Amino acid sequence: MSSEEEPTEKKEEKKSSKRRNKEKSGKLHESLKDIKARAGVIGYILRSSDSASIDLKDPTKIIDYAVLSSTALEAGEDLSKTFELGEIQNVLLEGKDAKILSLKVEDQRLSIFMERTVSHEKIHKDLNI
Amino acid sequence: MSKDQYATALKTALTEIKNVCPDIKSSFIFTKDGAIVAGDSEASDTIKKALHSFQNIREKADAIGGIHALSVNGSEGNMQISQVNEMYLATATFKNADTKYLQTITGVIVPTILKLLKDIIHAPTPPKAASPQQLTVEKITGFFVGDSAEVDQKILGEWSKFFEGKTINTVEIQAPNGKTTRCKVKAIDDERLEGKGLIRIPEKRLQMLKVREEEVVRVKPITP
Repeated sequence: MSSEEEPTEKKEEKKSSKRRNKEKSGKLHESLKDIKARAGVIGYILRSSDSASIDLKDPTKIIDYAVLSSTALEAGEDLSKTFELGEIQNVLLEGKDAKILSLKVEDQRLSIFMERTVSHEKIHKDLNI
Repeated sequence: MSKDQYATALKTALTEIKNVCPDIKSSFIFTKDGAIVAGDSEASDTIKKALHSFQNIREKADAIGGIHALSVNGSEGNMQISQVNEMYLATATFKNADTKYLQTITGVIVPTILKLLKDIIHAPTPPKAASPQQLTVEKITGFFVGDSAEVDQKILGEWSKFFEGKTINTVEIQAPNGKTTRCKVKAIDDERLEGKGLIRIPEKRLQMLKVREEEVVRVKPITP
């Protein structure tokens, strides 16, 4: 293997990785679109380091939900460190009126908001992550 | 029931749950304001950190109607914080813990104990009853005897202590035949009769009780 071939291979690898991520992201968006249409699902926020997709039934609650979901994930990480729970798989926050399922998907943070009666387990499963 | 007893009862419950479910790493109970009620004493710093994280969420949770429960699922273990009555129960478990079984146990035991403790705290305190004294009867006669029985000042003092310093004005006298009567009471005014275990009773009362002198009666103070 020559030293000139390596960068090309790496480039190819990066390209294919990007392609895979794009495909994954596309599938995730499709899943979210499907989930969002279900009864009892309030909406979702998907954030990466440089962008965010927000789809909520009640846009007046965007800030409240964004702050809460972000805090829940951060608190989950703190609790995980404190009690040595390992890498966070998901955080579920249940209130009197609604609940939030938050999880990390690659470098993105996803929070799905739903009514309490909705099965978050089924939603988690249907995300196909 | 004091706060300490309350905390001890809850801590014992948590220890017993841990014995039944050895997959529990840590467990504690805290109030909505973040005050620790009971938990693993050896992990108090850890608990304080956890409470800080929880309070951060709580401050922002109005959007979903407050916090009913929080679950953190990690690759090495889980954390579950759930509202139980007016408090929160937190349990951190190892990876392969049977969380459903654990939730069933904690979901039944802890609320039951909390309810029980609450009932104990709010239960009406039983009326105080001082132990009756067995005293020997001496008759009081004459025109100006009045209607009060007389006992030793020492006995009145002991009863008074029992009722947190309140003055004892009335006693109940029970005769050996079962008859009872209530009458006013005061201290024996004759030094020579003190310390002999006597109760001096007006003649009329003795007739009512069908008791003779030197018989022994039971005497108890009535709650002031």
